[in-house]
Amino acid sequence: MSTSEMLVKVLGDLQKIGEIEASAIATRDGLLMSADMHAKGDPETFVAMSATMLGAAETATSELGKDVPNRVIVETDDGKLICMGAGPKALVVVMTAPGAGLGLVLVEMTKSAEKIAKLI
Amino acid sequence: MIETGIPKLDGYLHGGIPEGNSLVYYAYPGVDGGVFGMQTISHAVSGGRCGAYIASSTDPRMIRDQFMEFGWDMGESVFADRFTVVDAFSGLIGADSQERYVVPEPDNINSLTQCIKQVIEEMPEPGIIVFESLSTVMDLCGEKETLDAVLEWNKYAMLYDHVMVYNFTAWPYSEETLLQVKGDACNSVVSVGGISEKVIFGWYFGLLKLDWAEMIRKWVLFKILKPGGVRIYIPKILVTGPFDAGKSTVVHALSNRAVSVDRLGTTIALDHGHIDHNGFAADVFGTPGQERFDPIVKLLSGEAMGVFLVLDSANATGFARGVRMLEITESFGLPVVVIANKQDLPEALAPEEIKTRLDIPESVPIVPAVASAREGVFEAFEMLVEMVMGVN
Repeated sequence: MSTSEMLVKVLGDLQKIGEIEASAIATRDGLLMSADMHAKGDPETFVAMSATMLGAAETATSELGKDVPNRVIVETDDGKLICMGAGPKALVVVMTAPGAGLGLVLVEMTKSAEKIAKLI
Repeated sequence: MIETGIPKLDGYLHGGIPEGNSLVYYAYPGVDGGVFGMQTISHAVSGGRCGAYIASSTDPRMIRDQFMEFGWDMGESVFADRFTVVDAFSGLIGADSQERYVVPEPDNINSLTQCIKQVIEEMPEPGIIVFESLSTVMDLCGEKETLDAVLEWNKYAMLYDHVMVYNFTAWPYSEETLLQVKGDACNSVVSVGGISEKVIFGWYFGLLKLDWAEMIRKWVLFKILKPGGVRIYIPKILVTGPFDAGKSTVVHALSNRAVSVDRLGTTIALDHGHIDHNGFAADVFGTPGQERFDPIVKLLSGEAMGVFLVLDSANATGFARGVRMLEITESFGLPVVVIANKQDLPEALAPEEIKTRLDIPESVPIVPAVASAREGVFEAFEMLVEMVMGVN
């Protein structure tokens, strides 16, 4: 199995918890590695902006001498966007359905992020 | 000579496929290699050549729709007399066929050979015959039988000066079969997706074999666009430069589709756009220019393959900052093209003059541009692409 097939599997497993409308894996500098967008939106732009957001958040907190954030969560009326580092080189990002439970999504995303960190 | 219509590949083939020769697109599983054969035949037919497409794994009625998805109209009214689909599918499921050429028993190699020979003989002038999927033929008729037939078809086509092109997917066939497909079966082999193990962002193609001219050993990253087909792909081109030089305008002028995160007209996070120009596709990342965003700029500039430095030609005070941004983005060593923007302003400096005031290597080209009118930006893009291709 190639690395890219393994990443597809990681995203596929993450989708199984349901309530996830889009998910993607990218490099920290915003290059797409794998995405499952359910035909919504443009994956390259989605991950480029997500990487910018995570990078900006890390810069903002470290400016004040705090640790790097564990994740960035963006709440909208019809879903939550969650972006998380996956090792030093990669990140994983998901968009949830409107009523999704945050707890389960975070637990599963953390697992996925650990796997991705080992793959890349 | 029949061109493939695949960007860059015709150059590597020294112009195209000479009459009487054969080529196989050898695709690794997981890569959509079929589009290569489709693009080749649609390019040839729209260029006035005769073409036959051997449909083995798809209902011929769907074939034209598949071409349409890429924006290639092969419909009856357009190329009726020059393009034909050979139905090597309907016989399998016992369906009726509307096509002129029908293989009665697609799982019998002799039945297929008979039909191929008829096509070869009846094609009014030297043209191109493309197999939708040689792997499907192999699955139906057997590996050895199919390989023997390929040799026979190629010889026969040579007599009539036709070009034979095969789409082949390297499923786990016997080692001997794979070696023969890559080796003696055809005059040239294009490997599609071959070194994907190393680079997970994309697919590559490159020549594995060429027997009519010297072989160029180069691998190029590609992407498949719908519509559009095979495009040479550059995943990251950085657009940087001082504040208010017109970086976002350059990104938008180059892109078919672009988004910006900006407030009060200045980019605060990132511009992102897709370019599709002249056989090349690229994703462009535009950075903010103000110093307070430098940490993000540094973070997002990794893995770029080429860089545009955008300067306001009428504002020489920003030039030093521009060079500084090349340092921040660690762009030295990468192909860089300077876009001397806002050439329409009366006080704009000429490119030669900018060069004398800019502390960058002599070899870096400076292209005059008016990004708001889309002038000069595509020239700069073509230049940068050539430089990126030369490096890799």
